[in-house]
Amino acid sequence: MRLRGVYKKGQEEMVGFIVIVVMVSIILLVLLGFMLKSSSTETVEDYEVESFIGAMLQYTSNCEADLEFLSVQDLIVECHTGSSCLDGEKSCDVLNSTLKDLIKSGWNVNDQSAVKGYSFEVTAGDTSIFSLQAGNKTSDYKGAYQDFSKRSSTYVVSLDVYY
Amino acid sequence: MKITHNKNKKGQMKIQQMVFMLMAVTLLFVLVGVFFLSIQLSNLKKTASNLEEEESMLLVSKLANSPEFSCGNAFGTSRTNCIDFDKLMALKVKANEYADFWGIAKIEVMIIYPDNGEISCEQSNYPDCGVIEILDKNVNTQAASSNFVSLCMKQVTDTKIYDKCELALLMVSAEDKS
Repeated sequence: MRLRGVYKKGQEEMVGFIVIVVMVSIILLVLLGFMLKSSSTETVEDYEVESFIGAMLQYTSNCEADLEFLSVQDLIVECHTGSSCLDGEKSCDVLNSTLKDLIKSGWNVNDQSAVKGYSFEVTAGDTSIFSLQAGNKTSDYKGAYQDFSKRSSTYVVSLDVYY
Repeated sequence: MKITHNKNKKGQMKIQQMVFMLMAVTLLFVLVGVFFLSIQLSNLKKTASNLEEEESMLLVSKLANSPEFSCGNAFGTSRTNCIDFDKLMALKVKANEYADFWGIAKIEVMIIYPDNGEISCEQSNYPDCGVIEILDKNVNTQAASSNFVSLCMKQVTDTKIYDKCELALLMVSAEDKS
């Protein structure tokens, strides 16, 4: 009878010890959870898309005008007005090939790449001057646009990059 | 006498049990604390690296518009994210003097269109090259933060001088301290 009482007390102490161990383990797990919660690094930054549009518009194309070789921005305006380069090539043809090459060089779309797809468009008011899509449209994307006005028209260049 | 002696012994045993228990619990908490501290300390270097990475990301977004790199008004109107190729070549020569100026390990500019390959730009082959290495401290670096820029220069043909801008990637890498 007396022995049973001693066992009971021993059991109670063991239970108390186990409760403390369980509590400490839970605290430890919560702390570990907070520490291992790694901040996900984004693969495409906002400023990258924005800077791409800016740098692309400044690119000097092969379309020669009277005084200089036209930038992509000027080429968009020339394409909208339907003019040709000095060598007789249509400005829209030069614009199409230049933009395609620039975008393909800037955004490499494949399964191994961080970029899964993109959607690029140049518009003048409601008129679409150029558009290009590649890859898949995922739910994560970064987008930017840049507009400029010339010869009483407003042009909008927009790019969405899916990752 | 015997009863008192037994009671004292039992009490001592109880105190001993309590002391052992308290010691065990204290030891457990100390071990947990040491474990937590060791993880925190091992993460300290990682945190330092992450901060440097963030710094390089901030730097890359504004570096192109700094006086040492920007086109200014050399190509007509003021442009954003425009780098003067001639300035870069001059800066490359003086790179050692700027080694600690930006607080990062590596700065390079890669021309991505037209594709000139990975030929390093020197005074001898300028401008027919693909990569301009501005700064390289020759240390382990993290993944580079990059930003698109337009790399502009003056070009001469038989009849005229014109501005030529190419698409390039400005890359900045921080030192990897982990």
